[in-house]
Amino acid sequence: MYIYLPIAEISMHIGIIIGLGGGVGFLSGLFGVGGGFLMTPLLIFFGVPSPVAVATEANQIVASSVSGVLAHMRRGNVDFKMGTILLIGGVIGSSLGVWLFAFLRELGQIDLVIKLCYVVFLGIIGSLMLTESVRAILRTRRPGARRVKLHQHNWMHGLPFKMRFRRSKLYISALLPLAIGAFVGILSAIMGVGGGFIMVPAMIYLLGMPTSVVVGTSLFQIIFVTANVTFLQSVQTQTVDFMLAGLLLFGGVIGAQFGTRAGALLRGEQLRGLLAILVLLVCVKLGYDLAVRPDDLFSVELLK
Amino acid sequence: MTRLFGLIISLIAASVLTTVPSAASSRLVADLSNKSIAITTGFHGTELLLFGAVDGRAGDDIIVIVTGPPTDIAQRRKDNRAGIWVNVETNIWKQAPSFYNILATRPLDKIASIEMRKQLGIGPAHLGLTMLPEGGTGPAIDGNRFIEALAGNMGSIHLWPAQTGTVSLAQDALFRATLDLPANIVTGDYNIRVLHFRDGMAISEDRTRLNIEKGGLTADIYNLAHDYSALYGIFAIAFAVAAGWLAAAAFRRN
Repeated sequence: MYIYLPIAEISMHIGIIIGLGGGVGFLSGLFGVGGGFLMTPLLIFFGVPSPVAVATEANQIVASSVSGVLAHMRRGNVDFKMGTILLIGGVIGSSLGVWLFAFLRELGQIDLVIKLCYVVFLGIIGSLMLTESVRAILRTRRPGARRVKLHQHNWMHGLPFKMRFRRSKLYISALLPLAIGAFVGILSAIMGVGGGFIMVPAMIYLLGMPTSVVVGTSLFQIIFVTANVTFLQSVQTQTVDFMLAGLLLFGGVIGAQFGTRAGALLRGEQLRGLLAILVLLVCVKLGYDLAVRPDDLFSVELLK
Repeated sequence: MTRLFGLIISLIAASVLTTVPSAASSRLVADLSNKSIAITTGFHGTELLLFGAVDGRAGDDIIVIVTGPPTDIAQRRKDNRAGIWVNVETNIWKQAPSFYNILATRPLDKIASIEMRKQLGIGPAHLGLTMLPEGGTGPAIDGNRFIEALAGNMGSIHLWPAQTGTVSLAQDALFRATLDLPANIVTGDYNIRVLHFRDGMAISEDRTRLNIEKGGLTADIYNLAHDYSALYGIFAIAFAVAAGWLAAAAFRRN
């Protein structure tokens, strides 16, 4: 059964939309990432115009993140204090990012910058996570593995404005999560994603948060970032397709629930290893598209 | 400025695309099975029947040209820069048809010479389209070397079907043709031009119109998004939060 999408102005099979929502929602619940870095390219692949894909996917991620965060809250896996500080940084960063976006668009190279950002950040984060998680898996398999320290102490622990984050078992400077939130905010404005795939590893490796609270806290933060994007896009570009978002989130909220449950069955380092492989696959695909001569050098876009 | 430019373009177009002189005309009448189409939630493209009568003889031909509402089309060209393929050139086709389909009783080159088709504006290359550099300012670009790529790209998204459609002509008097409109059709006014050919010359012509608009829920959502965009955004967020909460609550009971 086909359905005509009022804002995207294309007709799509309803099964494809719900299936996409469910699949990406599952990964969202499993890894605590919004799934935007997967969903946006997939929607474009199925013929949704790219501005509509970016804006609509933000709306859908609001739903899957709410669904996921509630499941994590029941298990006490959300650090609200940390999430709020990351969010403040995120608001500052995304405002900067929007400005940077407009500047790059004026230079006429925004498409290239977006693609390069994807390849570079997905590549770096994917490789780092894969190396680390493989090491961790090997370590746990070795007999008589000794318990590692919670985190290393270094220069970051000398920064001022120290705060206690009880859920995360951390006593660190508030400047750190603020800076990470801001950095991810900039990238998410440019790349059109929630930023979970950068936020999750940053929380683990830079802040030293326990893996158990990372996913819930990341989802908590993503709700607000994507709600803000949904509102701004609705007002400025009218590219949020409510019909498409509704069907995506129908599949997405269910998928996220199953993903959260599946996540509880796996160990932290196994989850990170799987996410790393997924991130690297998307990176390789995008890099391949940039490096290989396209079949058709020309492309068209109908301007309204 | 753009409006003035559009006016100039249409004046040029009107003078280039000569209509068939009425002196030599025979009688030709064409009509559509449906003159207005509403795009509703279930829309997945549609078919229309074009039919009519002509005062014809053995060996006469009919050509039908369907033209969608004019729109600017950005055409981008990729090239290799430092090992990666990037868009290096963007040009804008001004007021090009958003849909363009030709249907005929026989292959076009059997019906009329290329000069005749050029004169009558039949075929993408003969539309007299103007191409400007990105931004819409600066001197016009010679679009001849780009028109084939444009037709190819538009063909692959079903808006300029490459294949000439079929018109059947019975007893040299009654003709009919099925117009295939794809699911991604653009809303607006469509012009349908029917030409009667004899011995390589167009001897009469009739025109009819078709209107395609959004309807029902599709139109309601579209209008809400454009007329009350802040409300629409808040509603979209509220719906997403409610849906997420409902799903979490539903799964909790299990």
